[in-house]
Amino acid sequence: MNALIISALLGVVMMFSSFLLKDRSTVRSMAIAGLLLLLVVNVLEMNGVEFFNINTRDMIVFDRFALLFNTIAFLSTLLYLLLSAKEMAKVGVYFADYLALIFFILCGVILVSSFKSLLILFLGIEIISIPLYILTGSDKRNLKSNEAALKYFLLGTFSTGLMLMGIALIYGAQGSFYSVDISKIAGETPSALLIAGMLLLFFSMSFKVSAAPFHFWTPDVYDGAPTVFTSFMATIVKAAVFVAFIRLFDEAFGLLHLQWQLLVAVITALTLFIGNITAVFQQSVKRMLAYSSIAQAGFMMLSLYAMNADAKEGLMLYVAAYSFATIGIFAVLIKMSDYTFEGFNGFAKHQPLLAATTTIFLLSLAGIPLTAGFLSKFYMLKAALGTGKHLWLVIVAVLMAAVSVYYYFRVIQAMYFKEGEGQPMEVSKPFKWTLVVLAALIILLGIFPNILLSWLYF
Amino acid sequence: MPINYYIFLSIALFAIGIVGVLTRRNAIIIFMCIELMLNAVNLLLVAFSKMHHLKAVAIDAASTAGTDGQLFVFFIMVVAAAEVTVGLAIIVMLYRNIHSVDVNFLNRLKH
Amino acid sequence: MIYFLQTNINTTDASSYLPVALQVAFAVGLVIFLTVVTHLLGPKRKTSDKLQNFASGIESHGDARQPMAIKYFLTAILFVLFDVEVIFFYPYAVNFKGLGWDGFWAVLMFVGFFLCGFTYILKKGALKWED
Repeated sequence: MNALIISALLGVVMMFSSFLLKDRSTVRSMAIAGLLLLLVVNVLEMNGVEFFNINTRDMIVFDRFALLFNTIAFLSTLLYLLLSAKEMAKVGVYFADYLALIFFILCGVILVSSFKSLLILFLGIEIISIPLYILTGSDKRNLKSNEAALKYFLLGTFSTGLMLMGIALIYGAQGSFYSVDISKIAGETPSALLIAGMLLLFFSMSFKVSAAPFHFWTPDVYDGAPTVFTSFMATIVKAAVFVAFIRLFDEAFGLLHLQWQLLVAVITALTLFIGNITAVFQQSVKRMLAYSSIAQAGFMMLSLYAMNADAKEGLMLYVAAYSFATIGIFAVLIKMSDYTFEGFNGFAKHQPLLAATTTIFLLSLAGIPLTAGFLSKFYMLKAALGTGKHLWLVIVAVLMAAVSVYYYFRVIQAMYFKEGEGQPMEVSKPFKWTLVVLAALIILLGIFPNILLSWLYF
Repeated sequence: MPINYYIFLSIALFAIGIVGVLTRRNAIIIFMCIELMLNAVNLLLVAFSKMHHLKAVAIDAASTAGTDGQLFVFFIMVVAAAEVTVGLAIIVMLYRNIHSVDVNFLNRLKH
Repeated sequence: MIYFLQTNINTTDASSYLPVALQVAFAVGLVIFLTVVTHLLGPKRKTSDKLQNFASGIESHGDARQPMAIKYFLTAILFVLFDVEVIFFYPYAVNFKGLGWDGFWAVLMFVGFFLCGFTYILKKGALKWED
């Protein structure tokens, strides 16, 4: 509750600072200080210190899972702002407003990670999506950005419509919006209304996390949006929606697990396949990262498929590993003028430190041992094996992880083994240090995952 | 009236909305179809809310069951208004740049 | 909220819709009756003035499909947003007494946020007509 209220207030503060403060660097430091504050109050709440006591009728419950995820989300956002806040100013003149929108999105992230009622799920998803439509189209003169915004908006609201229909049908069947009440099934078989509602919710959530075959909007939108905001969309937002997805299907439809498990298995395999295979053929690194985010979503779907203790731990680790690595790569990518693979040629010679950290991020995404990416993939596969069914899914996942190595290593190969003139880029000292911290975090999590996971229990 | 009629009506409205979204080419009309979908949901929620209330009242006359369904409708309306605001703003922005609201234009991003 | 739900009509009986049917029949009948009667009783004069569109006595000019300034749209968009937010006052109005001071503070907070948004719009110059 601490973080929710403070982030909403910070959003309003940023809104007003857009015309009260003229100086951009003040606004930027305010936002970073605000995020630090959010992180601190959230950690305090994990240790039992609550500033606000509001009766939400149990529609929002901050359990360890939610709080841990919020901490990861705030930490990622903090690193993201440290690395890329300056680049936001280049998108348009409304610097403080973009930051305000990001704080509002964080409110939505908090809501979807801690909901117990479908009303809050719906509100959270909308609070995330509506500012994102604006951020996608924030580059007003750029046709690609416009197009991406309209596409994202139309498809996003369409999937919201499906989701609402699902919620309405579930309400008709169970008479309540609380996930606890929804999970109570009278009699042997669930009613047709409930099943229909569940499927609609499933489709719309798959849409929001861009699982195949509902992924078609992702590459276009991620490619068209200004790169700074793509970085935010592809990491924190996607992770939050995944957490909501898991929560929903664990708490509300946990008892129907056997009914939907096969469906999830098929969608997971399809997502892994399409994401990885299409990523191989991309020429632009930005578009490759968009497809890679679909592929990574496939891996995260494995936790939905398994739905056991391993899966939840794995999801937390996966979210952290994926967000940190992707934010790092995007931060480097934003600085470049050429987004193609050729643009990375000879990068290691001109920017050895940046190339080294980028390599660590890419290795983590590919799932090479000693990085957080490896352990998180390991947890996911372990969870999937733990179900004792559908072994083919695990085999597909491993094969696809091998395919992913190809396109991630293509960037590394371009950086280290190809000659090229580096692109001119201004890199400040703090930027480099933040990247090093990020890389260190990834390796630290890859060796001691328990520093993160123990928070789930103690 | 039995609840089935309400379900059929709102599913029909919802389906009209979906078909409209999938077949129309004008961004504004697609947008209207989405609103139609949302309003179909509103109708259904209110009908279900009434149904659950009548069921609960038969057992306990002081029951307040069913109010949450109507409150949900309020939230949907407000969120839909926020969506309309952002959506129309995006359409206006697009119109300023290309002087058209045809979504066939959206194929350009593919390459 | 509960008041909306408690009105309970005997819904299985089609005859409970009789008043509605009567009203519809009356409305349609009145329109048809009046148009027929005016056609029969009124004098028939056809001059150019007579055939013009009637616009409340103001002389009409031009086509209705003229390009409008985009400012109108932006203001209209803002109007839609603020207009619909008022919906949250309805539950409060229905149960004004029962919610007591707690409800009052909650509504006050809502209005406060509302005003924040409004000030933001004003300060950003979204409502300025002249550029």
